[in-house]
This record gives sequence, structure tokens and C-alpha cells, in this order.
Amino acid sequence: MIKLGISAFYHDSAACVTIGGRVIAAVEEERFTEIKHDYSFPINSIKWCLREAKIEFKHINEIHWYENPEKKDDRVSTTFAKKPFRTFFLNRKYKKSKKSQNPKDILESMGYTGKIIYHDHHYSHAAFAYFTSNYDHSAILTVDGVGEWETTTISVGKGRKIEKKISIDFPNSLGMLYSTITSYLGFKPNEGEYKVMGLAPYGNAETYKDKLRSIFNNTSNKYTIDQKYFTWEYSDKIMFNKNLCILLDLPPRLPGEELTQDHKYLASALQTVYEEQFLRLLKTVKSITKSNNICLGGGCAYNGVANKLAYKYFKSVHIPFAPSDAGSAIGVCLTSQTKVSPYLGPEFKSSTIKRVLSGYKDRLYYLPLSDEKLINKIAGYLCNQHIVAWFQGRMEFGARALGNRSILASPRDPKMREKLNRVIKKREGFRPFAPSVLEKDVGKFFDVKEPVPHMNVVAKTKVKYLPAATHIDGTSRVQTVNKQQNYKYYKLIEKVGKISGVPVVLNTSFNLKDQTITLSPKQAIERYLSSEIDVLVINNFLILKQ
Amino acid sequence: MKNKIKELIEKIKKDKEYSKKMEELKKKDPYVYKNF
Repeated sequence: MIKLGISAFYHDSAACVTIGGRVIAAVEEERFTEIKHDYSFPINSIKWCLREAKIEFKHINEIHWYENPEKKDDRVSTTFAKKPFRTFFLNRKYKKSKKSQNPKDILESMGYTGKIIYHDHHYSHAAFAYFTSNYDHSAILTVDGVGEWETTTISVGKGRKIEKKISIDFPNSLGMLYSTITSYLGFKPNEGEYKVMGLAPYGNAETYKDKLRSIFNNTSNKYTIDQKYFTWEYSDKIMFNKNLCILLDLPPRLPGEELTQDHKYLASALQTVYEEQFLRLLKTVKSITKSNNICLGGGCAYNGVANKLAYKYFKSVHIPFAPSDAGSAIGVCLTSQTKVSPYLGPEFKSSTIKRVLSGYKDRLYYLPLSDEKLINKIAGYLCNQHIVAWFQGRMEFGARALGNRSILASPRDPKMREKLNRVIKKREGFRPFAPSVLEKDVGKFFDVKEPVPHMNVVAKTKVKYLPAATHIDGTSRVQTVNKQQNYKYYKLIEKVGKISGVPVVLNTSFNLKDQTITLSPKQAIERYLSSEIDVLVINNFLILKQ
Repeated sequence: MKNKIKELIEKIKKDKEYSKKMEELKKKDPYVYKNF
């Protein structure tokens, strides 16, 4: 059975090909178009996945779409009908886009006449979260902005079956509240949420906590959100109205404006209130499912600080590598527990890399090295406070660089964080960097309950000597690495440990300001040349500037 | 009474400030959130 999974037209479009239940290839469209969180139909991703799987479009048996257009249409029409005059133009715009975004029409125009199976948006999240875990019984909690109607679901996974128990519907959405305050703080929704999360520890929640709490009305196991502060039901532009400004008694921040202490307080209050609501949900999940395991899905599962709270009620927590909509393209293709590595994207042969490098002979020195020599050399560079762009094998799927498209540095250098933020990535100074640590040594440095291979749980840092990878509140978004996960990366961290006594490296995604994660050797070289990164490694090529 | 008038003026001022900011935001149109 050959399946093609697709997510598109919201954010983070992606495609995935599975053959006989095995994930062969998956990639996000943004990597090809270089448009962050690209939501367009993932034509480039589909083409690449088919090529990687060595099949043609006609060989596909089933196409699985990550949401149900009919149910979504029902939500939109019902919502617009509440305010027909106010939504008149928006409705027209929606109808137009609905026509051009009909999956059946698009796929038919590509020559596909086979079966298209539509899944509920939150089922797709749940399937990706549960079927990539190794549990045969687990609670599943999915939280995001909005799917068709649902914004939150609680399900139970047992064997190959996922049974939904409870759902919370639009417009009551924790994800949309987070995005709204993200936009209120002058960041782009669906993109800047992690900036708000990074900003939160710089503030104190007290000033705005009660104001944000007053927006909620909690019932026994659900919540509603007072819509008088929001425009979610009648605007696709600004997400809040003047009532929210008056409630907060703080004018919204325009992008680029100075970040004041009040903005930090608001970020802190949002994170606090989000965690309170998330904890309530977790309690409900526990009481309904009685499971010891939980799988978290939906875009909100990128909130590593809140994710940690799951350990209060569950012994084991699984969060997949791309819990947002991109991962749903994989989730819809899975029907049972499947071991899926995050390294599912394009890779490049040595001959191709050599050919690309030969075009930069006048600007670069390059040298192919054996694995051992390369690792020794790079570990030495890292221990001497050099910044290394590390490009290896298949590209990661999801928002996190997990050691194949990473910029690496020493977490022990107190100036490294500022250097990376200001000089290399040219981004806000408050944003933290993550450490990668050998799984077997993680307990020495970080307070984690179990391995965190996908960098999605924030943990207390136990030591003081990792300043560049420790946030202001003494925490880190840690990634644990073992041999099976990523052998070469493991060996590199191990070597760093042997030289310095600390088997930890700082790991941030290989991209510069506002760029998508690096896909190809050419892109890697161009980015290396236009930045102050000291060393570039592409597979086994050690590359230096002349 | 004086305080009340002061409060009211302050409120109107703030209200204008919010309205101005909202107008600016609408013009800049930075927050396109496709929830439809």
C-alpha cells in the first residue's frame, strides 16, 4: 500500500509518502520555497517525496488529507452567519479561496483519480502523536488554534485504535489566545509564539495574570473564552479588538517597537495562564483515561515549558518531533505504532557536494575527511569557542534542528549566546539556545524524567557552567542524543565531552534571520559566506573561508 | 468631583490612544491569521 499524506492551506504545508506502513520520505514545503510556515499546496514536497520513494503519482493507492473540508466549511459558514454584514467581504474571499483550495480538484488536475481520505484535523494530530510513540495504551491530548470545529481533544489510544472522549470547540481556543497575545506583543502569530515563551521568564505574571484569567470561564472539564475581546469570528487580520486593550490597559506593541517591561509582564502572564489551563486539561485527561502514558499533539505541544507539567499526572510523556500541522501529513498515513525518525528530508551525495564546492574555489578551502578525523577536528573547534555549521545526511522534519542542519557552539562560553543572537542569527537578544547532551549523561546536567530526543521539554539546568544554553530562569530546552538516533552527532558530542569534560553542545537551527532551515549544500555555503560562522561541515567536507 | 472629571478625561485620552493604535495596526496589517 502506497500512501501520500498531505497537509496544506493553513500553515506549515507538508507531504509524506509511506510504503507498506513505513515512512519513506516527508518534508515541509517551506524548505523548498523558503517562505517560513508556507501554507501553499505542497507541490514541491510531493514531487520530492515521490522521487525519493522512486515512484510516480499513478502508483499512489490512497491520498490522506489532514483535515475535513466539509466540516471546516460548516464551521466557517456557521461562524459567518452570526455576523453576516460584518463578514460579507470576508465570506466572499473565503468562498473564492475554497474553490481554489479544494483538494479533490487540485489532485484531479494533477491526474489523480484514486481514493482521497479526509481525516479530522485533531485526529491527524492525535495519530501522529500516538502512532509514533511506543505505547500500546495511552492518553492523547491535542491542543492547537483551530481545526474544523475542534481546538482541543482528549482521546485514548489502545492498540491500533484512537477513541475520542472529549473535545472543546471554536471559538474557545487556547492556541488562538496564545497567538493573539503573540500578535498583541508585536510578533507574528503562528510564528512568534516561541519568542513570547522565551520572553516570559523576563517578566512577572502578577500585573496581567488576573486580567487574562478573567477571559476564561471554567466549567468542570472544559473552558469557554469570552469573545468580546477577540475578532476570531469575523476577521482574518487583527485578532483582538479595543476591548482587549482596555482590559489590559496597555496599547498593543507594533512590530519593531521597543520591548518594555510591561510587554515582558504580559508574556509572563500569558504563559502562566496558559499553563494553568493546560494543567486543568491534563487533570481531566488523567481522570478520563486513567493511563500512565500521554501523547501530546497539536501546535501547542511545542510549548516545552507547559509540556513538562504532564509529568505531574503521567509517568511517561511522548511528544513527536513536529506536533503542529506539518506532522499531520505523516500522522494521517499511520495506522499502527511505527518507528519514525525525524530525519526524513533530502540528503546529498558527496559527488554533488564536491561539484557545488568546486564553484566556490576562489572563496573557500575544503577538505574531505574520514568520520573520525572530522569529529576530532570539529570537537576541537567547538572546544575552542568556534561556531560550526553542521550539515549532515537527511534534513530534519519539523521546526527543530536535531543535529543534521544545526549551528553548533560551546554552551560553556558566557559570551556565545550574545554573539550568536546578535552577530550570526541577528535576532532578539532575549531568545535562548538549546543544548544537545548525550542521553546517558543527561541526569548530570539537567533535571529530566526521561530522554527528550525532540527538544520539546524544558528542564531545570543543574549546573552553572552552561551559560550560553541556560535561559534566564535557569532552564534549558534540552535534546538528548543516543547512538541509534544520530550516530555521527552522538560521536561528536562524545568527543567534545572527552576534550572538555562536558558532553554538551549548543545547538540552534542552521538558518540566519528570517530564513527557513537550510536544505541544500549551495544554500549552506551561501549562508556560511554571508555570516560570521567560523567553520562549515557538509557531510564529510570540512570547509573554511579563504 | 474634580477627581472624577480628571479620571474621565484620562479615560477618554486612553481610549483615543487605543483607537489610534488599532487604526495604525489596521493600516500596517501585520497580523494575518488565516483561521478560515
